[in-house]
Amino acid sequence: MKSVAIIDYGLGNIFSVKHACEYCGMKALVTNAPRDIQNASAIILPGVGAFGKALADLKAFDLEGVLIEEIKKGKPFIGICLGMQLLMTQSHEFGQHKGLDIITGSVLPLREKFGTAQNLKVPHIGWNAIFSEEKHDRWGNTLLSGIPQGTSMYFVHSFYCAPENNELVLSRTEYGGFRFATAIQSDNVYGFQFHPERSGASGIAIYQNLSKMISRGGAS
Amino acid sequence: MKPEESKEECQAYFGLPPKVVYCKKCVESNQRMLGSVQHKDTPTTKKRTVLFDDEGVCLACRYYEKKKMIDWEERERELRDLLNRHRRKDGYYDVLVPGSGGKDSAYVAHMLKYKYGMNPLTVTWAPHIYTEIGWKNFQAWIHTGFDNVLFTPNGKVHRKLTGLAFENLLHPFQPFVIGQYNLAPKIALEKGIKLIFFGDSYAERGFGGDVKWDGPCMDPKLFTREQKDEIFLGGVPIKDLSQYGINMKELNPYLPAEADRLLSSGIEFHVMPYYMNYDPQKNFYYAIEHTGFSVNPDGRTPGTYSKYASLDDKVDDFHYYTWFIKTGRGRCTEDASIEIRNNHITREEGVSLVRRFDGEFPERHFKDFLEYIGITKEKFWDIIDRYRSPHLWEKIHGEWKLKFRVS
Amino acid sequence: MRLIPRLDIKGSNLVKGIHLEGLRVLGKPENFARYYYEAGADELIYIDAVASLYERNSLIHIVERTSREIFIPLTVGGGLRTLQDIKAILRAGADKVSLNTAAVRDPQLICEASRAFGSSTIVISMEVIKRKDGTYECFTDNGRIPTGLEAVAWAKKVAELGAGEILLTAVDREGTGKGYDIELIRSVSESVSIPVIAAGGAGTVDHVLEAIVDGKADAVAMSSILHYQCIKVAKQDANEFTEGNVNFIQSGEGYSKVDTVELSDLRTFLVNRGISSAR
Repeated sequence: MKSVAIIDYGLGNIFSVKHACEYCGMKALVTNAPRDIQNASAIILPGVGAFGKALADLKAFDLEGVLIEEIKKGKPFIGICLGMQLLMTQSHEFGQHKGLDIITGSVLPLREKFGTAQNLKVPHIGWNAIFSEEKHDRWGNTLLSGIPQGTSMYFVHSFYCAPENNELVLSRTEYGGFRFATAIQSDNVYGFQFHPERSGASGIAIYQNLSKMISRGGAS
Repeated sequence: MKPEESKEECQAYFGLPPKVVYCKKCVESNQRMLGSVQHKDTPTTKKRTVLFDDEGVCLACRYYEKKKMIDWEERERELRDLLNRHRRKDGYYDVLVPGSGGKDSAYVAHMLKYKYGMNPLTVTWAPHIYTEIGWKNFQAWIHTGFDNVLFTPNGKVHRKLTGLAFENLLHPFQPFVIGQYNLAPKIALEKGIKLIFFGDSYAERGFGGDVKWDGPCMDPKLFTREQKDEIFLGGVPIKDLSQYGINMKELNPYLPAEADRLLSSGIEFHVMPYYMNYDPQKNFYYAIEHTGFSVNPDGRTPGTYSKYASLDDKVDDFHYYTWFIKTGRGRCTEDASIEIRNNHITREEGVSLVRRFDGEFPERHFKDFLEYIGITKEKFWDIIDRYRSPHLWEKIHGEWKLKFRVS
Repeated sequence: MRLIPRLDIKGSNLVKGIHLEGLRVLGKPENFARYYYEAGADELIYIDAVASLYERNSLIHIVERTSREIFIPLTVGGGLRTLQDIKAILRAGADKVSLNTAAVRDPQLICEASRAFGSSTIVISMEVIKRKDGTYECFTDNGRIPTGLEAVAWAKKVAELGAGEILLTAVDREGTGKGYDIELIRSVSESVSIPVIAAGGAGTVDHVLEAIVDGKADAVAMSSILHYQCIKVAKQDANEFTEGNVNFIQSGEGYSKVDTVELSDLRTFLVNRGISSAR
């Protein structure tokens, strides 16, 4: 059975990710051992918490290099929530931090987009709709395949990703009148700002798609 | 007693068993005193205590085990028969329910009226010192639909008796207990009501002893007297109370009914727990749902973990605290033991609760209590310390500590 | 608008008190969790009702089982005292943790926990009782022990220290079906910029609407109004329960203080009144 490596670097709800993978028939290994990561058919980088700390932890486990290499090999790679943000070039959370720079762009605070008059709460916590702004079916052949436009997913975050290249944006979501990227894709690399493993049946569908993808033997 | 041990070390006050033993099933100890005939209590009365069997289990727990064999449907039939006999068609009161609107009396009165169609008169002996939540619950109870007779004793006399009872017996609640017990039968006599229903009973609270407590009725002995001179109040024979400025004329509320009058009246004293399994938690839920009962607005009651235990009298805190001083176990022990017997919590949990809350000093009403009985803080502690039996208490680094705790 | 069933758990049972007091058993938490997940709950809250009382933690297994089959966020609280406790419960599958007693005793813990696990993982639970003089005081240990902390002041402090959300329970309303404490909810919600989950007192669907519109709650948690409905519908074998206060579940009675409702009907009601539902 093909396996998924879920990166354990001390942060994140790795066990819900694991349970979701297993529910969809995939073998899931929570690990930070380079060998496991190299042998896996897909990699998931979860993450909850602060950008700076996450990067420091990744470095401490010596994982940066391994991850970048596996991505280059074309292996399906999913960054969830903070994991998605780590893919970017840099983040402005508590100072400036460099990310993995797989996808060019920045991570910025949500709070600055709302005036205080709006009384909007941050973190953005709850269910919210994802949609594609493209006319054609942008999601077919991706991990979002089969998911209807406007489906709600579960979000909990205070920062958002702003990729430079709009073509990489799979879905956007609106909060407080402000629209931002909530799913991005660059070839074999995916980033989801929401938590698919916490988004009920709709989110599990993404894991089902991943399962199909790796049993087909690839990222396309 | 071994000859080499000093006499003081082994001495157990009040006739309590010198060796402390805890029940294997609940968290009670063998120091728990049994209910006595209150108006006979003197400072030298030796107390009877709860009995333990050969397996180290207290008789209260055994009683609860026996209860599991009870056919409650049969008991309900007995209840219906009893009530059918007493139910009046002329619209007059047919049952008296003593209480204050706390969860137990609320449950009994409400059940009797709304489930069984009786016409209860509720009867309340006023608390020594009202609490706001007590008054609120009392009013809410009445407003659920009950006539109520509230008797408030002469405040001056009541305070003096409380002070005497505190000093002579370390039992400040005695005037309340005597008053409350004696009020119901006397009102019943006065009003021609032949049935009195109590919400709890000695047996349920673990008073297992040699008197048969597990029947439907309470022993009328508790409510009567033969001769006036056999009556003690606050541990003082009533003829000597004049020394304290209390006139005989002022003692009527505390005198039990005369034996011959009461015993020939045909009044029956029943306990609801005989007919319906007594469970304080169940009564709590019922009272909240049906009689407007509210819990302690300050969180939990001092000395225990529950929020619905005895809310109506500021002196009640000291009732349980003095228990703790005399017997080494307090309100939490009692509450936890009942919950263990009803299977709501395990013994382990009970132990944990007792170790955490039992014997907690009730700071919240201390000032009011001192003022009420007119003594200073220093005198209070003086009196308290006199009752620390050496077989239970020892002083370590100037602080009093219990020699034994449940485990 | 998030609708969150709150499950109070003792040992292996779901219990439902009044004013967070009483240990009436209603059933098995896993059954309720599954029922609510399938009915479209946005999240779930599990609180260990006696952890602080007995100073022990025992939800780990229930959390593990739940997170295997229920794919919505799970917040777990009750007796979490240290960073290790939090880590353990997150590893068991919880997404967020709720802290009260430990946070009151040592507010720095909020700071440390949010740094270690992320702000949004840390929910501060406030158990509040309205005092005689109209002020709101926070309590710990399931509403048993007063802290002297005023609600709005404490809410602001925890937000500053890094809490991601506040779970606000009006203990004097809880389980009574008398409605949420709107004044309390609004004053807290308007004083902080983090989400506030209102809890305690829902007796009718109108109460829930009130909490949202008038109380400005960001999410609403409910217990009695849903659980007493669930037991009507999802038949459980009353004899299965041997531990705890099982009188109620064996009696087959209901609880008259709440107009019970199905989660889906509640959502429809709210949507019809303009409250958006993403789910």
